Amino acid sequence: MNKGSRVPGFRGFRGFRVPGFGYAIFVALLVECAVLAVATDAFLTPANLGNVLRQNAFTAILAAGMTFVILTAGIDLSVGSVVGLSGMVCASVMAAGSGVPAGVASGLVVGLAVGVLNGAAITTLRVPAFVVTLATMLIVRGAAYKLTDARTVSGLPAGFGALSSSFASATLMIGIFVAAWLLLMRTPFGRHVYAVGGNAEAAWLSGVRVARVQFAVYTLCGLTAGAAGVLVASRLNAGYPRAGEFYELDAIAAVVVGGTSLFGGRGSIWGTLAGAFFIGVLNNGLNLFRVSPYDQLIVKGVVLLAAASLDRWRRA
Amino acid sequence: MLTAAGVSKSFGGVHALSGVDFAVNAGEIHALVGENGAGKSTLIKILSGALVPDTGVVRLGQARLPSGDPPAARRLGVSCVHQEFTLVAGLSVADNIFLGRERGRGWLRRREMNRAVDAHLADLGVTIPAGTLVQDLSVAQQQLVEIARALADDARVLILDEPTASLADPEIDRLFAVLQRLCGQGLGVIYISHRLEEIFRIADRVTVLRDGRVVSTSPRQEVTRAELITRMVGRDLSEEYPARTATPGETVLELEHLSSPPRFADATLSVRAGEIVGLAGLVGAGRTSTGLAVIGALRASGTLRVRGQAVTFSSPSAAIRAGLAYVTEDRKARGLFPLMDTGANITVAFLRAFAHGGWLSAAEERLAAESAARDYDVRASGLDQPAATLSGGNQQKLLLARYLLKPRSVIVLDEPTRGVDVGARAEIYRIVNRLTEHGLGVLMISSDLNEVLGMSDRVVVMRDGRTVGELARGQASAERVMAMATGTA
Repeated sequence: MNKGSRVPGFRGFRGFRVPGFGYAIFVALLVECAVLAVATDAFLTPANLGNVLRQNAFTAILAAGMTFVILTAGIDLSVGSVVGLSGMVCASVMAAGSGVPAGVASGLVVGLAVGVLNGAAITTLRVPAFVVTLATMLIVRGAAYKLTDARTVSGLPAGFGALSSSFASATLMIGIFVAAWLLLMRTPFGRHVYAVGGNAEAAWLSGVRVARVQFAVYTLCGLTAGAAGVLVASRLNAGYPRAGEFYELDAIAAVVVGGTSLFGGRGSIWGTLAGAFFIGVLNNGLNLFRVSPYDQLIVKGVVLLAAASLDRWRRA
Repeated sequence: MLTAAGVSKSFGGVHALSGVDFAVNAGEIHALVGENGAGKSTLIKILSGALVPDTGVVRLGQARLPSGDPPAARRLGVSCVHQEFTLVAGLSVADNIFLGRERGRGWLRRREMNRAVDAHLADLGVTIPAGTLVQDLSVAQQQLVEIARALADDARVLILDEPTASLADPEIDRLFAVLQRLCGQGLGVIYISHRLEEIFRIADRVTVLRDGRVVSTSPRQEVTRAELITRMVGRDLSEEYPARTATPGETVLELEHLSSPPRFADATLSVRAGEIVGLAGLVGAGRTSTGLAVIGALRASGTLRVRGQAVTFSSPSAAIRAGLAYVTEDRKARGLFPLMDTGANITVAFLRAFAHGGWLSAAEERLAAESAARDYDVRASGLDQPAATLSGGNQQKLLLARYLLKPRSVIVLDEPTRGVDVGARAEIYRIVNRLTEHGLGVLMISSDLNEVLGMSDRVVVMRDGRTVGELARGQASAERVMAMATGTA
C-alpha cells in the first residue's frame, strides 16, 4: 500500500529518494529521450536541447510553485494570467526607462501580490481555491489587457533578453527547484505542507496552523508565477498581454504527470521537474516528427490520461 | 415474525456478535438495550439485511431474509431507521420518501406522490407540506420524515435506532402513540434506546446485549431498571484496571460554564495534576465538543483556566503551546496522516523543536521519534512503516506518543480505547497511569462505563450538553452514572 508514495519521512532527509512508482516518470522521461535520440538526428544537438530547456523552463518554474499548492490539496488557476500581468508590468517599467533590475523586481512583486491576494481570499473568505483562483485568473488577465489597452510593450533594454538564455533559464530553474526541495524536505514548513494535504483536520488538531500554511503556498505559487512571467517577457523580448494563456493547465499537467496527487499529501518536487520535461520533450518530439498541431493536442491528451490512470492503477 | 437464530459476526478478529438469538413478534414492541459497543448496531444491520452474518440465519416468517441486500429486505417489509440521517437535504420531503421507488414512468406523478406523502405524515400527526425541502426542516422534523419514509414501505417490521435522540417530549408522545396504534394493526417494532424510561413506557419485551451476546430476554413487567443496568454493564471491574496510586496535586484545568450551543450548553469541571477525571454520558451529550472547546478547536463562551490562569485559545496550536493536547476519538479522520510514515506522524506536533535556524535536524527528529515509540510501546516494523498500516492499538499509542512528545500538563483523551484490542487496552491504561504519576492531568471522555469506573479518580457526567453531576471514585457505580446520564436519578 502506498508503495509509490513520496512521503516525507526520515529517509527523505538523506536526499533523493523516489521509491516504487515514483520512478516511473523518470524512467518514462529517459525512455522518451532515448527513443528520440535514436529515431531523430536533430534531438541530441546542442541547439535543440537548449531550445527544449528554454521552452520549458518557465513551465517547470510555474509547476514548482503549483506543486506546493497541490500538495495541500489546493489548486491555483491564476498562474497563467499572472505570467501575463507580471510580464506586462515588468516590460512597462523597463520601457519607462527604469532599468532591468527594477523591471524584474516589479514583475516579481506582481506575482507575490496576486499570490497574497489568493491566499488571503482562500483562508479568510473560505471560498474554495478553485473558485477564488478562477476569479483572480479573470481579474488579473483583465488587468494585463487594461494596462496598455492590450498593446504590446516593446523596446526593452538590450540586456533583458539575456535572462532567458539557455544557461540563465537553466540556472534559475534549478535554483528554484533546489530551494523548493529544501523547503519541502528540510523545514517544518515543508512537512506541514504535506500534513495539511494529507489530513487537514489532523494537522489542525496537531497544532499546525493550517490557514498560515495555505496562505504561504499560494504566496509562493504567485511568486514563482511572477518569475515565470519575467522569463517569458524576456524570451518574447516584449510585454504581451496574452502571454501565459493556458499555462496554468500546463503547470497542473506537469505536477500530475510528475506523480503528485490532486488530493494532496503525496508527491515530490523532482517528479514535477521530470513531469514538466516529459511533456516538453514530448512536444519537441512531435515537432521533430512534423506531427500536425491538431494531432499534437490529441496525442498530448491521450498521454496525460494514460499517465494519470497508470498512477491510479498502480496504487489500487 | 422476524427471527435471528445463532447469528455471529466478527470484524477483523473482533467478535461483534456471537450466537445471538433474537425474535420480534407481530404486534410487539421489542426493546434492545446494551452499552455502546455491545453489538446492537451490528445486530440491526444483520436484521435489516445490510450485513451478512458469519453464521446463523435471519427469517421473516418462514422465509430466509436475503442478506447483504437491504432494498430487498425493505421490499419484503423490514424497514430500518438508522441513527444517522439518510435524507438528501436538497430534495423535498416527498422526493425523499419516494427516493428509489418514484411513482411514474419517465415523468414523475408528483401530485400523486405528494398526496400519498401528506397522508403518511398526517398519520404521524405531522403537518409538513410534502414539497418542503428537507434542508429547511428542523432536526426533529427530519427524524419524523425518516420514520414516515420507513412506514411508507408498508413495513411489517420496523427497526428504530435511537429515534427519540433529537425529539422533544410532545413529539415523543406522538411517536409512541403512532407506534402503539401500528402495533395494534400487527406491526412488529424493534426499538433501540439508551433512555431506559422510554423502554419501560412502551416496550413489551426487553433484550439485553453485552459483548455481542444476549444476556437476557424478558417481559417488561418482570425486570427492574437496576436489573437492566446490571445486566448491561456486567462483568467485575476490579482486575482489568491498574491500581491508581497517583496523588492529585494542584488544579491544572478548570472549566466554568463553558458553553458552545447547540453542541453543549454548560460544562463545569476541574482536573488536578495527576488525576484522571472521567467524562461520562450518552452519545450526543456534548462530551467531544467540550473536549474540542478546551483546546480551542471549537469556539466557546465561559471561563477556561489552565494552572489557575484564565485563557482563551484561538486554535489547537495555541493550546498545544500552553501545554495541553487533545487525542481524538476518530483516529482515521482526525488523527493519523495515513500517507506519512510512523516517525513523521509522531513528530508532527512538535517539529519546531527539531529545527535549528529553520532547518530540521533529521538526527534529532529520528532520536525523539525512536524514544517516543519505545516509551509509548508503538509496535511498528520501523519508523518508516506507513501509519495507516498499523493496528488500531498501535495507532492509538502513536497518537499518545505524538501529543505527549513534549511534557503536557493536561491531556484530553477522547475514547482512548475505541476499537483497540484487549492487550493494547491494558497497555494504554498502564501508560496513562504512569503519566499521571508524573503529574499529568487527564480528562478522559469515554462511553465505556467499565473504563470510566475502572480508571477515573472522579467521574463527571454530562447530559444534553450540560455537566449534571460528579461522583468520587468510591461513590461511582454503573447504576449511578447511568441514572445521571439518562436523567432518571
